[in-house]
Amino acid sequence: MEQNSFDAIVVGSGMSGGWAAKELTEKGLKTLVLERGRMVRHPDYPTATKDPWELPYGNRITQETRQRKPVQTRTGYPTPANQHWFVDDLDNPYVEEKPFDWLRGYHVGGRSLMWARQSYRFGPLDFEANAKEGVGIPWPVTYDEIAPWYDKVEIFAGISGSTEGLYQLPDGKFLPPHDLNCVEVDFKKRLDEKLGRKLIIGRCANLTAPLTHNESPQRGTCQARNLCIRGCPFGGYFSSVSSTLPSAERTGNMTLLPNQIVYELIYDNDKGKATGVRVLDAETGKQTEYFAKIVFLCASALGSAYVMLNSTSSRFPNGFGNDSGELGHNIMDHNKPGNSNASVEGYLDVAYTGRRPNGFYIPRYRNVGKDKRDYLRGFGYQGRAARSNYNRFNDTPLMGAELKQAALEPGSWTIGMTAFGEILPNHENHARLDRDKKDKHGLPLLVVNAVVRENERKMEQDMKNDAAEMLEAAGYKNVTVKSDSYNVGNSIHESGTARMGSDPKKSVLNKFNQVHACKNVFVTDGSFMPSFGCQNPSLTYMAFTARAADHAVNELKKGNL
Amino acid sequence: MNGHDESAEMQQRRAVLKRVAWMLGGAISAPAALAILQGCSAKEPVPGAVIATKFFKGKQADIVSAIADVLIPKTDTSGALDAGVPAFIDSIMADVYPKDAQERFSAGIDAFETAAGAGGKTFLDQEVPQRAATVQKAIDAALAGEHKDKPFILVARELTLLGFYTSRVGITENMEYVPVPTVYHGCVPLSEMKKHVYWE
Repeated sequence: MEQNSFDAIVVGSGMSGGWAAKELTEKGLKTLVLERGRMVRHPDYPTATKDPWELPYGNRITQETRQRKPVQTRTGYPTPANQHWFVDDLDNPYVEEKPFDWLRGYHVGGRSLMWARQSYRFGPLDFEANAKEGVGIPWPVTYDEIAPWYDKVEIFAGISGSTEGLYQLPDGKFLPPHDLNCVEVDFKKRLDEKLGRKLIIGRCANLTAPLTHNESPQRGTCQARNLCIRGCPFGGYFSSVSSTLPSAERTGNMTLLPNQIVYELIYDNDKGKATGVRVLDAETGKQTEYFAKIVFLCASALGSAYVMLNSTSSRFPNGFGNDSGELGHNIMDHNKPGNSNASVEGYLDVAYTGRRPNGFYIPRYRNVGKDKRDYLRGFGYQGRAARSNYNRFNDTPLMGAELKQAALEPGSWTIGMTAFGEILPNHENHARLDRDKKDKHGLPLLVVNAVVRENERKMEQDMKNDAAEMLEAAGYKNVTVKSDSYNVGNSIHESGTARMGSDPKKSVLNKFNQVHACKNVFVTDGSFMPSFGCQNPSLTYMAFTARAADHAVNELKKGNL
Repeated sequence: MNGHDESAEMQQRRAVLKRVAWMLGGAISAPAALAILQGCSAKEPVPGAVIATKFFKGKQADIVSAIADVLIPKTDTSGALDAGVPAFIDSIMADVYPKDAQERFSAGIDAFETAAGAGGKTFLDQEVPQRAATVQKAIDAALAGEHKDKPFILVARELTLLGFYTSRVGITENMEYVPVPTVYHGCVPLSEMKKHVYWE
């Protein structure tokens, strides 16, 4: 019992868990970090320095991988270069009552290793929308309250970007922006002139210059390899493995245990507190209990909801802290109904050098200022322009020496972009447990049921039409707008399962990510979001996690937890 | 160097890099890290030869080799056979393509040999210039028609291009491959570049 007791337990070691570990250990708490997957240490990333010819099959997905990972591969992600970061679906089943893409990796670092690194603040528009429109429940936190925490996490993580002064997309503490390439600069100019819309370089967690602090000596600048998803031995981008976990480790206060599946919170009815967690060893099946004064759930929106739904007691018969009946509900993601492409004439005497791990961004303009549509909220586009490669010959009759000669020149320019649209919270979009179905550990399966609805469908029309309008206004040719079927989860931004709010009858967490009904449990991954904006969410999880950890330590010192 | 030594050596290199990275942090220079990591590279494919096939049967390896050879011939630079494209196609067909596509490709190889031989020499009996003409004719015909499934010859060319331009010789002899570019420049005149820069 003694050796299993800590000041704090953090469940999960990804984007949010890493931040919780760093903040809690730096404030002096002896902290146990429990990760359900295997150990990963910076800079040991198995494929990070492989040349293209060292990857088998031209880096295409094998039938064997498709058979083991049918969910992960149906999205096209796990190639031979990175498939070790994606779960084996046969060993990790869930029930898709409606098609739901649950893309994830079980290892130290979680999805902070594979994320696309796009880092945008939510702004006042996002924090105020639910209250103004009567959708879901109001955010209990204002932009001004969270802004200093955005500052803090941006400075530590290293976010590159340009300062733009946009109300709907607040600026941050940026490292220098990446270059837009020649055609993207052209597109930016034409969009501004013809449609008054803004195009900016993506804001991303890649170090375009050295960090402005000395807390991460293990990190170097981005080397423009654009192989981030494999893990970066240079520490060129932010992950918990390269950044927050090394900071936590240096305090001497962290114990990090891999292969530990947390399946239940331990609740003490008399104290009215959680006293710890129950854990299964992923390799041996051995059950252990760990104890602490506070628990941070950072296991992802579905992972943390799972642990809470599976933690029933006489006090919480419907799941931990679930007095509101909202636990597991209001799942959101970003709607991504297809991408748009065009060919660009000219610019044949220019190109780019290096491989940029970033693209351009067209911030939301719908329902901003005077713009009013027949749907709520809006969307942003992420894209890039590039010169085409040898694949362009597939539609030509070229072969032989002539083809080899032609391939020495870069192909003509193409441009492509994808819209990410806000999904409104809806109680019907939910996850729950099916206790009759079990995984190989004997744990009940998660059932997911989430779809896009009327508001998202209306918005899709603009997402597609506007893309075509912009590419055509720029004078580009062969404009195509694809309609892909989108499963919720496909943007890998699932969220909302334990929303925060002021009213305990309608929300699971309070404004400091504390469970209303059990104040020594904090949930700081995507679970807490009451609405979702159209921006990539990781930066917001980092900011709220750092703020929650600060609050937790203050409350602990005051004897309130 | 046998497989065991190679793996031990790579482990040692990673350990060295890790130490250097931790010690120097941001100060580690890209070329230094590269020198550590690039000491050992993958085995080169054996030029042109398919020794133990996973997918091809009978003469199929010879037929596909002959097609790949005229699609990307050896000139003053390496060709498809130097890059090991036939072995690449054999393994990608065996391990990446689903059964129905495998069956179509296999039948496509056999049909190609038969059709090419109609009224004259079979494809493999043809001299190289004649083989090139046969393949060109097949590509032109495939591009002119409409097809439910991609015609065999176009799949063969797609895989030849993929295998060649992801191979060491295909990349390093035809592009300016910089493993660690260190920085991205968004707008550079082609006249300032040595050749087609590797961007993938």
